[in-house]
Amino acid sequence: MSEFISAQDVSFAYDPEEGQAPRNVLEGVSMRIRRGEFVALLGHNGCGKSTMAKLFNAMLLPTGGKVFVDGMDTVDEAVLYEIRRRVGLVLQNPDNQLVASVVEEDVAFGPENLGVPPEEIRRRVDEALKAVEMYDFRLNAPYKLSGGQKQRVAIAGIIAMQPDCIVLDEPTAMLDPRGRSEVLRTIHRLNREQGITIVLITHYMDEAVQADRVIVMDDGNVLTEGTPREVFSQVELLKKHQLDVPQATELTYRLRGMGFPMPCTLNEEECVEALAAYLPPVQAG
Amino acid sequence: MAVIECKNLTYVYGEGTPFCRKAVDNVNLSIEKGEFIGVIGHTGSGKSTLIQTLNGLLRPTSGQVLLDGKDIWAEPKKIRQVRFRVGMVFQYPEHQLFEETVLKDISFGPSNMGLSPQEVEDRARRAAAFVGLSEDFLTKSPFELSGGEKRRVAIAGVIAMDPDVLVLDEPTAGLDPRGRDVLLTQITSYHKTRGNTVLLVSHSMEDIARTADRILVMNDSHAAMFAPTREVFARGAELERMGLRVPQITKILSMLRERGWPVGTALTMEEAVRELLPLLEKGGVRA
Repeated sequence: MSEFISAQDVSFAYDPEEGQAPRNVLEGVSMRIRRGEFVALLGHNGCGKSTMAKLFNAMLLPTGGKVFVDGMDTVDEAVLYEIRRRVGLVLQNPDNQLVASVVEEDVAFGPENLGVPPEEIRRRVDEALKAVEMYDFRLNAPYKLSGGQKQRVAIAGIIAMQPDCIVLDEPTAMLDPRGRSEVLRTIHRLNREQGITIVLITHYMDEAVQADRVIVMDDGNVLTEGTPREVFSQVELLKKHQLDVPQATELTYRLRGMGFPMPCTLNEEECVEALAAYLPPVQAG
Repeated sequence: MAVIECKNLTYVYGEGTPFCRKAVDNVNLSIEKGEFIGVIGHTGSGKSTLIQTLNGLLRPTSGQVLLDGKDIWAEPKKIRQVRFRVGMVFQYPEHQLFEETVLKDISFGPSNMGLSPQEVEDRARRAAAFVGLSEDFLTKSPFELSGGEKRRVAIAGVIAMDPDVLVLDEPTAGLDPRGRDVLLTQITSYHKTRGNTVLLVSHSMEDIARTADRILVMNDSHAAMFAPTREVFARGAELERMGLRVPQITKILSMLRERGWPVGTALTMEEAVRELLPLLEKGGVRA
């Protein structure tokens, strides 16, 4: 997989209030997102992960270091629109990102602004709504949709711009369990079937374990990164930084500490299999 | 003794219009004084409508809400008193902060209750302490605070009214794991210290498992279940059909049970370990 986004030694400070010194929220962070990858970005509120997301599509520009998107430097104004078209951003609150009073008009908003011809817009809007399974709702009013449906419309609005990458900043934080699984299923399918690169910022560990790679940030830096199994097997490190691990992972970790040689497990199924190997045979009858 | 009862409670939005929709349909329930109730249900199940009838923000289309045995709408002019006794913390309450300082913001509720200025301030300070906001926060502007701190200010504003029943609608939504943990610990210790009744609406089954004595499950405008936490979470398959889940740890033990191992229902990590240890020791593979 080739490199798609590259952050090189990036620092960032928000404009300070009057009389106060600027404080870096990112301190020399380097990370790479490969084309077609599904990356989960974890960390506490305030660790800099949302800032990172905004640097990925030039909503913010680094105060130190460089961010490259598909080889383009995000500080180069000439390629700004190209970067924003290629990297779409979905935020936490679906009500803050839908603008039109009809679902399909909302999805058309992006491509209209890119100057796409009308017949092409029609085709893209229909395809995007089908991709998020919201085509049947195309004439509905967004405010009448559930949270999960609204987020899928927001995602469709980005797909209609034919992006290479979608960055989602806690897209499921306001959703119920059903809405969460709808959104998760949608982004996994887009990643798998259309090869769209996904960067998912989340506080839900069960979402993170489904990623190809997990990057954990803490206090403006990368704490650790790797496959979900590599990251979540470091239970002590994560706990030390008051980060969560899935309950399945924690259970096998605790039992391992009590002398049962369990592997690191990431979900219910793995945990049950690991336990089954050590439990006495089930008595018949 | 029951502090809140709902009798044949029904609420219909837009009655008499083409958009008429029954959001709460003939709900009967009784909540005892001092209980910690978890309320779950998918979006649109009627749970938010239900809780808004409890303090008279919505007036039932039919049926009754009783507070200490009295219909809260018996004297509609006194509904304000009901709102002081049943405190409501809405979703994303930090959006409702407006005062110049944290102390003033927390004082807003009690200052409308006809208390002396000293009593108002005492209550505000106590409430701030309950949610873990130290003295130096009180003079800050609420808008300088982080999201989690703002939310604690908003919750303190309701606690300062010293309600007999505290209703929290998704208080941990959007907080990180550490923020959730701190807030939940504060809510449970407030509940223990004050001995009042708490209703916690949440999409996080882990939060509910940690805190609730009983769970009310709303589904399709009905109260589908209202039972002790352990009993509700033992009905995982039914919950999944309603678009809900059980905590992962509960699910793991129920999967083992389905495969024939004699393990009970676990709500927490500690319970799961306790259930599994005797069996694992019988397996005899300890290193």
